[in-house]
Amino acid sequence: MTTIQVAGLHVRHRKTVALDSLDVDFGRGVHGLLGPNGAGKTSLIRVLATVAAPTGGRVRMLGEDLADPRARTEVRRRLGYLPQEFGYYPGFTVREFVAYMAWLKEMPAAATPAAVERAVERVGLADRIDARIRTLSGGMVRRVGIAQAIVNDPAVLLLDEPTAGLDPEQRVEFRELLRELGAGATVLVSTHLVEDVAAACTEVTLIADGRLAYRGTPDALSALGAAADGVGDHPIERGYTAALRAHREVAVR
Amino acid sequence: MTGWHAPESLIARYADGSLPDSDAWSLEKHLESCAACAGRVSGAVRATAAGTVLAQVRGAVLDAAPPVRAKTPVRAKTPVRTKTPAPPVRAKTPVRAKAPLRTPRLLWAAAPAVRGAWLPAVLLVALGAVLLAHVADFSGARPLLLAVAPVVPVAGVALSYGRHADPLHELAASTPSAGLRLVLTRTVLVLAVSLPLLTLAGVVLPASDAPGAAAWLLPGLTLTLAALALGGWLGLRAATAVTGGGWLCAVLAPALAAPDGAVSRQLSDQLSTYVGGAATQGGWAVAAAACAALLAARRTTYDRLERH
Repeated sequence: MTTIQVAGLHVRHRKTVALDSLDVDFGRGVHGLLGPNGAGKTSLIRVLATVAAPTGGRVRMLGEDLADPRARTEVRRRLGYLPQEFGYYPGFTVREFVAYMAWLKEMPAAATPAAVERAVERVGLADRIDARIRTLSGGMVRRVGIAQAIVNDPAVLLLDEPTAGLDPEQRVEFRELLRELGAGATVLVSTHLVEDVAAACTEVTLIADGRLAYRGTPDALSALGAAADGVGDHPIERGYTAALRAHREVAVR
Repeated sequence: MTGWHAPESLIARYADGSLPDSDAWSLEKHLESCAACAGRVSGAVRATAAGTVLAQVRGAVLDAAPPVRAKTPVRAKTPVRTKTPAPPVRAKTPVRAKAPLRTPRLLWAAAPAVRGAWLPAVLLVALGAVLLAHVADFSGARPLLLAVAPVVPVAGVALSYGRHADPLHELAASTPSAGLRLVLTRTVLVLAVSLPLLTLAGVVLPASDAPGAAAWLLPGLTLTLAALALGGWLGLRAATAVTGGGWLCAVLAPALAAPDGAVSRQLSDQLSTYVGGAATQGGWAVAAAACAALLAARRTTYDRLERH
């Protein structure tokens, strides 16, 4: 089932083109969003998060058109978003911060305390729930960000580099959480870590130069890497470089 | 208690402070005679947030007492010493864990204006005026307060919403509360702080020929609503600069142009013209209503998304 339909999406920052008529659909499951720096991953996620307006094109999410403000408000209730860099109030405890985000997401007040505890527990911070965020390490702050994103059980979850700053053990746990979330929701994860993709994603979307460069399962990408003799230490990495090279050859022609 | 050792689950609950007091006491009794369990408990406590603090305290104490450090008996005592500070940790954690989640308190604490420099600024204006009048015996304190007061809530609104004001903005913008709902919630907070505080400060100032202490309320409200209504077109920052700056220019410019010594007289006169008398206040009320109506009509402008 398709939950996100992106058609002819165009995003321009001043004079640089971030996304160039991108057409792509996402359904339930975990989608790894790969691509070089500056490929347009963050631009795509910010448009889908209803934070930034596209310069052109349409996005339909959960059956609503994001260009319509009223529909957008409906979509936002069912959205979870973790930006690449997220601001927070350092004096807030984890519980307060996640609860405040739940309030912003217009969750029913009666359900909020339990939902907050559950979200914090799912990211493995239950023992630090009443610690002030300023006392937490970078990886823990990242996990607080993930907790606020999932507190409303979103139907669409957008995570921009969620594993940055997590240690290997935490990444393993996080992938487990991703698989769990992907069973019921559309999860988009932008990442540079191929292990994340291999272990947790049901589908890979590779974006380069603002365009769709590759679409397929992690296994298919690995197979492409083996067949096309891509460069890298990991099958997915070889697939990534092979797909990127193929995309650039087409673009040059 | 020979042969019995504290199970891991008990130690974990002791360390995070969730063990009932009676159970904690009996565990502590056991620790006095069982070095093995004492070591495990101190390890568990050190793994909590309290552990970092304990390590810091320990480091500070050892640094402060260099002659003692050389002696071995102190080191030998370490397991016992780490155990002793544990009770205060236990006493502290449950209190915080039980702190109920009150939405109004959270909204108050999350308002960027209240969190930032604005709140101290309001206090400074209020206290400053009172001190000027009573300590420095400055007769112009009241007109000065009345001139500045309407700008205070406007500035609070400017510092309440948007990327420049709120570190949380990127997250907040993706929620259904983004836009006017959040702007209004925070404006209400700003008004709830500044209106009573500044009016109260005005009341305790000595009487002068300037208008009464409450005379600024309607102008302050009107300017705030005007800033919100304009904010749909200009953005909140520019809109507040226009309304707040406009008011200050209108009030202060003629006063500053007055000959020496007559500045506060001139300011009083200026304020009387702008906010004194029932007719003027009525005018402000009409303007406030008009701005509110404009804001309601233009509310969708706050739904606009950020352009790249």
